[in-house]
Amino acid sequence: MNRLHPRIRLLWVARAVVFALVVGGVATAATLFAPVSIPSFVPVVVGGVFLVGGVAMALLRYRAWGYEVRDDSLYLQRGVLTKVNTVVPFVRVQHVDSTRGPLERLVGLASTVVYTAGSRGADVSIPGLTPEGAEDLQDRLKRLAIASEGDDAV
Amino acid sequence: MTRLSPLSVPYRAVQRSASIVFALAFFAFTGGTAFGGFLGGLGSVALVGVVVIAIAGYELAYFRRFEYELTPDTLDIRSGVFSRRNREIPYRRIQNVDISRNVAQRLVGIAAVNLETAGGGETEGSLRFVSYEEARRIQSEVARLKRGGTDGDAPEPEQELLFELTPRELAIVGALSFDPRLPGLVFVFGSTVFPVVASYVDVPLPAGSAAAAGAGIVALVLLVALVSWAAGFASAVVNYYGFRLTRVGDELQYERGLLQRYNGSIPLDKLQTLTIEDNPLKRRFGYATLLVETAGYAPGSDGSNGSGRAGRGSEAAIPLATRDRVLGLVADLEGVEEPTFEGPPTRIRRRYAVRYSLVLGAATLALYGANRFLPQEIPWFVPLALVPVAVVAGALQWRHRGYALAEDHFVTRNGFWKREMRFVPYYRVQTVIERRTIFQRRWRVSTVTADTAGSISLVGGDATAVDIEVADAAELRETLNGRLREALSARREARQQSRQAALGIRAAEPDRDADEYGAESVADAENDVSETPEFVEEAEPAAAEAAEAEDVVEDTDDADDADDTDDAGTDTDTDADGAEDDEDETEETGDPFIWGESVESGSEEGDENADDPEESSDERGAI
Repeated sequence: MNRLHPRIRLLWVARAVVFALVVGGVATAATLFAPVSIPSFVPVVVGGVFLVGGVAMALLRYRAWGYEVRDDSLYLQRGVLTKVNTVVPFVRVQHVDSTRGPLERLVGLASTVVYTAGSRGADVSIPGLTPEGAEDLQDRLKRLAIASEGDDAV
Repeated sequence: MTRLSPLSVPYRAVQRSASIVFALAFFAFTGGTAFGGFLGGLGSVALVGVVVIAIAGYELAYFRRFEYELTPDTLDIRSGVFSRRNREIPYRRIQNVDISRNVAQRLVGIAAVNLETAGGGETEGSLRFVSYEEARRIQSEVARLKRGGTDGDAPEPEQELLFELTPRELAIVGALSFDPRLPGLVFVFGSTVFPVVASYVDVPLPAGSAAAAGAGIVALVLLVALVSWAAGFASAVVNYYGFRLTRVGDELQYERGLLQRYNGSIPLDKLQTLTIEDNPLKRRFGYATLLVETAGYAPGSDGSNGSGRAGRGSEAAIPLATRDRVLGLVADLEGVEEPTFEGPPTRIRRRYAVRYSLVLGAATLALYGANRFLPQEIPWFVPLALVPVAVVAGALQWRHRGYALAEDHFVTRNGFWKREMRFVPYYRVQTVIERRTIFQRRWRVSTVTADTAGSISLVGGDATAVDIEVADAAELRETLNGRLREALSARREARQQSRQAALGIRAAEPDRDADEYGAESVADAENDVSETPEFVEEAEPAAAEAAEAEDVVEDTDDADDADDTDDAGTDTDTDADGAEDDEDETEETGDPFIWGESVESGSEEGDENADDPEESSDERGAI
């Protein structure tokens, strides 16, 4: 089982912090403009709860994430509250992307997205790879998908 | 190149101008009195005349510029008056061919043809309109050409009637249908018209007692129910009159409709899943509904030919039939019987009972809170009396849930009020998803979903085995994956054999190819297992090299790899590394065509794989 790159934690934690700040800001605005008087510590508490919760979730998510390139399929395992294990047979792979979002570029990471024709798990994304790792994984999944030679991808 | 039926010109012109002229007339005579006065009566008529002529001209141009052709491999459609479009649809990708004719079209003898491929929200090929005979010819030609029959001497495939809706079943379907759209329409219309009418006529509002008002409301509700039932009955009868399913060769053909006739074909190998649906009432009287799912229709669309009421995307769905007949049909189509289901563990009964009780508890709490704050007494404890019901409901839900691994199918069953039994052929499985919520973890169970490329899944959900033991779930996950592989290779073999039989001469070659591929993938497999942990480590030094060196790189036992990277430079590195690690040059032969892989390897392998690209292009990736 492969882990994600540790630096993805940075990204996720940053995201959680930003979200907590936004929530805190909204709560502050609500306190200021609310018709009834709300004690001033409330927005701080709300923001703090979101901050702690978000950061904890980000760290736990990192610990829960794992993937494995097996002989005939890609196996992913993730999820903090809801654990999700996904098996993507290579035969079913339609195409493979490796993407780098602006934030991901900032921390020097990339993700690989695997597309199938399915209705629910139609695109499976593996975040937190180094750019080379993502490209490598893409290349490898591509080759494995070719080698597995499905007769009918749907 | 073939043209549409000449009759389509007047038909389309009339169809289109009817709506436009109506809109214009409406505008001229109601809203725009000033406009009408400005033009005068004659002017209005002249305007309408000009519009009609313009439409007729456009339709003529549309007809003249619309051409289609059945080539040996594709159906080509060239169309468009202002912007031109050439479209080629490979026969192998066509999922369904649907023909529909409404009353007027039947009178003139024309029909609309719709061709669906997987993916995309809209109908990919639409011919409006061709003569009915031509429509049938297209349907059978597409089927024939798809089989690869190039000569016309292929024997006419035998027809086999699979299913016919009996009048009794049709009556029951009608009796069970409600169509609330008609009363809804009346309501919308009424609510807009009423104020207008009331402003002219002084409608005396009933000023009776509360009892009268209550009676009025009850009567209104009853009326609405009655009207929607009548509308439902009528629409069901009109839709499903004369429903027949036939098997023609390797296709499923359906036919239905009283006023507007639909008829279409679905290749049997495009079937994704079959679903048998019933409810307590249907179960009691031994009836069931069958839904047929292909990847052709967009999720949630009600068929694509504007039939509207066919529902749930699949046209070949059997609205209602006795359970035995439905099961018989499933056995006919897929060769699978109703299996014995393996249900969730018994303790899960408690989980469901607890879940329903919690809902009741929440309701009680809410009522209690309301009781505290409201002046008058509310019997807030009433929901508690329903706890036994919750227990029974939990037990029922538990009992109707289950999954089974049949010989070629994954079968699941869920739901009590709307019980759905899904048959998913192993070779249709796309991905397998196992999920365990935080609540499920407490009960040591998880849920396994076999995702398919279906269309109704958006509404109905995929085949899911809910709340099975964690260990079973993990095993099921792997089993499904394994069976998918087995089923696919079995199918591939069968296909190869049939192709060899068809081609005769080239019998040896594909075989050799297959062996190569087989050996290669085994080699790949071995390499991968040994290689997986290495993989990330290999990526990390590369990253370190990429100048974010302050990060801690834990796995440095792979130093020689890192050296390689430094020496070779990133570009060539992947290739060199890959070849070294895999010790497997044949990997590079892995078909350069499809993925547009590096050109060098393609040209190197060029003569060896001379016939490979087209061979494989129809082998894989097909939808």
